[in-house]
Amino acid sequence: MKIHRINALLLKYYYITINRVDRLFDIIYWPVLDLFIWGFTALFIQKLSDVNVLSMLLGAVILWVFVWRASQDIAVFVLEDFWSRNLYHLFASPVKLSEHLVSIIIIGFLRALATFVLMWIVGMVFYAFNILDISPLLIAFSVLVLTIFGWAIGLFVAAFIFRFGQRIQVMAWSVTFLLSPFACVFYPLSALPEWAARIASVIPATYVFEALRAAINGIPINQAGLLYSSVSSIILFVAMAFFLQRSFRKSRKTGLLVKGD
Amino acid sequence: MCFLLNMLMHDIEVQNLVKTFREKGKAITAVDGISFSVRKGEIFGLLGPNGAGKSTTINMLTGLLEKDSGTVKILGFEPEKNWEFVKSNSNVATAYSWLSDVLSIRQNLRVYARLYGVKNHEQKINELLELFELKDKGDRRIIRLSSGENTRAVLCKGLINNPRVLFLDECTVGLDPDIADKTRGIIKDYQQKNDCTILFTSHYMHEVEELCDRIAFMSNGRIISIDTSSNLKKLIKKHTVEIAVKKNIKLLKEFLRTEGVDIIFEKDSSIVFEVTTEKDKMYKVISKIFHKGFMLSNLHVKGPTLDDIFIKIARQK
Repeated sequence: MKIHRINALLLKYYYITINRVDRLFDIIYWPVLDLFIWGFTALFIQKLSDVNVLSMLLGAVILWVFVWRASQDIAVFVLEDFWSRNLYHLFASPVKLSEHLVSIIIIGFLRALATFVLMWIVGMVFYAFNILDISPLLIAFSVLVLTIFGWAIGLFVAAFIFRFGQRIQVMAWSVTFLLSPFACVFYPLSALPEWAARIASVIPATYVFEALRAAINGIPINQAGLLYSSVSSIILFVAMAFFLQRSFRKSRKTGLLVKGD
Repeated sequence: MCFLLNMLMHDIEVQNLVKTFREKGKAITAVDGISFSVRKGEIFGLLGPNGAGKSTTINMLTGLLEKDSGTVKILGFEPEKNWEFVKSNSNVATAYSWLSDVLSIRQNLRVYARLYGVKNHEQKINELLELFELKDKGDRRIIRLSSGENTRAVLCKGLINNPRVLFLDECTVGLDPDIADKTRGIIKDYQQKNDCTILFTSHYMHEVEELCDRIAFMSNGRIISIDTSSNLKKLIKKHTVEIAVKKNIKLLKEFLRTEGVDIIFEKDSSIVFEVTTEKDKMYKVISKIFHKGFMLSNLHVKGPTLDDIFIKIARQK
């Protein structure tokens, strides 16, 4: 891997971010809108119960950004090259798939971080909610695990795009949303029916959000669950990276990389 | 020793290259065991009808498509084992693939200059924009450019790293005649100044004739013939002659029939006929027309062109 090539691609994604309004919307508009919707909902529910709903919901919304952004940015930035029929020139250059991915991962993380900071400020200004008050260590750990999990989902989608082309582009937006009901973002694992709880128990993000709620409510954190979430996220990430590499090779074999459609 | 010398002299070497695609369970051979080599500093043309396998060949040489079998050497190295070296020293331009359309030309060129590790890239970018008459469009996004401007932007990218080997796949499609002519001049000039090796495909025969030192004709994934354009033209042994006479068109027609030439068509006072180039027959026929006293108002002789060969090969398909 060469740093100058990763820098070149970071520059490209920076240009895309500043040139395309919808790419800026991803960082600012949707997350902040989400925060307002859930914030006002939480304020309403707060009046009806003694549970600290505001912290639980806003904390979950802010942390879910890392899964959402990390996964969607990988998929959408790969799709950008398909849309503009630019893969041909990109991979005719000395760039390697690994450099391409590292650059997308970095830009995705930076964009998620920018969103996190924005939501953190909005949370403090409008709801007097500071996510770092929960536990800075737990939040840092959660950010790391959820980002790796998000990257794994993004790689999975990118692998499908390289294998089947733009016709499955809807996956870029839908996979994360498909997972969210089972990741126990806004409610505890115990609230799910048995069949859904079984699915939720294998999703790494579930244990991070369970730990967040436990920390807010002052009850012991399931440390084995957190260990499972970190190890399984890393394994998933590595497995998806291999899957993507195989799909990329397949696209070189079938000619999809050249046609880009 | 001879092998080493051969390796040093040829920048592109292709041996028994094969590529098959599968479509609905059926195997389609796009490139069927082709072999050719391109000398250092040579402009080599790949010609052939649509689906002949030209672009598939270039895509395999640039590493965008995996070959089924055969060997490829670029600058003496097998690309699969030395992609970084090969890709850093080569580049490709095609009218069929754009630069990133969200970015401006200048932004795209900055990205590619960094990808290829070009030093003083701002100066290089300005030179290229000037060369391809895009200086005032440099900050315009690709999506807002005309197809001709897009093609020139891609050519700028193709020269950004001063490539030793350049693949040009129908890179002048969409250019107006003036810009296309200037572009050919730029390509020729760049090739001469840098001793660059160019593999060139085009549908414009005059362009191939003007630029290429040698030409390979492809059809159905195979190379039919490799030669210079003048030698290839010898494959067509007929000239076309158009004669217009002030009067006696019927007599001229009868005379031509007795000489055994093929009349293609006649219109008003003109006759167009084909005559074989063998044994100076064309000159003898024209000379006889003069001696017979026909009053000519126009005489136009057209030798065989690459178009004729292209059509001949395409129809043999």
